[in-house]
Amino acid sequence: MSHELTLEGIDRSATIAEAQDRLLGSQTRGGLLRRMAALGAGGALAGGVMAALPQVARAATQNDIDILNFALTLEYPAAAFFTEAERNGALSGETAVAARVIGAHERAHVRALRHALGPKAVKRGHYDFGDATEDQQKFHDAGIWFENVAVGYLKGQAPLIDSDAILVVALGLHSVEARHAAWMRRIGGDVPAPSAFDAPITRESAISQFRARGYLAIEPKTTVKKRAPTVTG
Amino acid sequence: MSDRVTVQVVDQEAALEEALDPVAGDSRQAFLRRAVVGGGALVAGGILVGGLPRLTASAAPSAEQDVRILNFAALLEYLQAAFFTEAEVKAGLSGETREFARVAGGHERAHVNLFERTLGNKLRKKPTFDFGDATSNPQRFRATAVLLEDLAVAAYDGQAALLTKPTLRVAAQIVSVESRHAAWARALVHKPPAPRAYDPPATRPQVTRVVKSTKFVTSA
Repeated sequence: MSHELTLEGIDRSATIAEAQDRLLGSQTRGGLLRRMAALGAGGALAGGVMAALPQVARAATQNDIDILNFALTLEYPAAAFFTEAERNGALSGETAVAARVIGAHERAHVRALRHALGPKAVKRGHYDFGDATEDQQKFHDAGIWFENVAVGYLKGQAPLIDSDAILVVALGLHSVEARHAAWMRRIGGDVPAPSAFDAPITRESAISQFRARGYLAIEPKTTVKKRAPTVTG
Repeated sequence: MSDRVTVQVVDQEAALEEALDPVAGDSRQAFLRRAVVGGGALVAGGILVGGLPRLTASAAPSAEQDVRILNFAALLEYLQAAFFTEAEVKAGLSGETREFARVAGGHERAHVNLFERTLGNKLRKKPTFDFGDATSNPQRFRATAVLLEDLAVAAYDGQAALLTKPTLRVAAQIVSVESRHAAWARALVHKPPAPRAYDPPATRPQVTRVVKSTKFVTSA
């Protein structure tokens, strides 16, 4: 069953029928890593790590599914933003290159998360970026925002992830979003790395920032939930 | 229900090759490249997830393991801090490269300070370094910076899953800064700031091998 896109957090009283077994069960972390190593197939896949989450939803905890779905909630508009900018063809120079490359990455993230979550993936929303996908300056501003919020959110959620496998992938995404952020900042004339330590942001902060940006084209239907979602971010 | 997770192999070799893309004619870089790529153990069809340093029961998170991992990270932070500090003086930098050395160096020195405060007398002895010609001119400096920053990202991403959660929170605040540095350094040499959609983790042996191959550390 799929969720309606909500910005209030993922509904924890989910309609998912399957039991959510803990991925680790009674295994030690070392044991899990050993087993994962034993599952290795021959042959390396260049950049194919996104396929490292093929069917994680089957065995993942509800907590982890919620976290992946929230990441997807923000990856959707990010991917749409860069994609639209590329299609509009109004950007130039390195900005246009960044739109293309970063967009390809964000689309890959969306595909990987959707693939991982399968039927449990939240639905894509509808977005309106105004002229931020055509105006170079507004594109810089929005692009920097998208990447920084992704870094902050992934950083905040990482310690809350149950599964080591999912944590490792989240960290790999987090690093890439930080590269994107630095790149976008540099293109926009800002220092790529403004401080020695980057701070995490909560789920609530990411949500409210996204709302404030005004990119949601259509407010989602508010389905009445019997229990308020527990937002732990 | 099966609790197996099918995880596919990371092309770690390609990731590290990318980081080590040698400056033409730089024999040290070329040596590095051969040392890493030639090592069959790097990509042995094994899964590189979670930075599997040792597949022993001691891989479970603990305060003691945090200290070991942080001391491993401290080596890299000491290395980077010393590298930037020396380059700022020796490498004849100017323009944005000089700004990068100053800013990133300041960050690495801040990371070292954090480790000193956090670990106290559990912090490893400060290593000594010889950067040879890596700090002798802007071109070598930039190429080496790309190597070290990409390496730091992969190292942190490889170790982070083994940390206790409070320590992971700290490491997470650092690794994104290293990622920014890596993107910046790459931009300075006209390489893709973000070469792929996902940053693969490196194992501790892989990182150690690369560090050893640089011959920058003269005593640890």
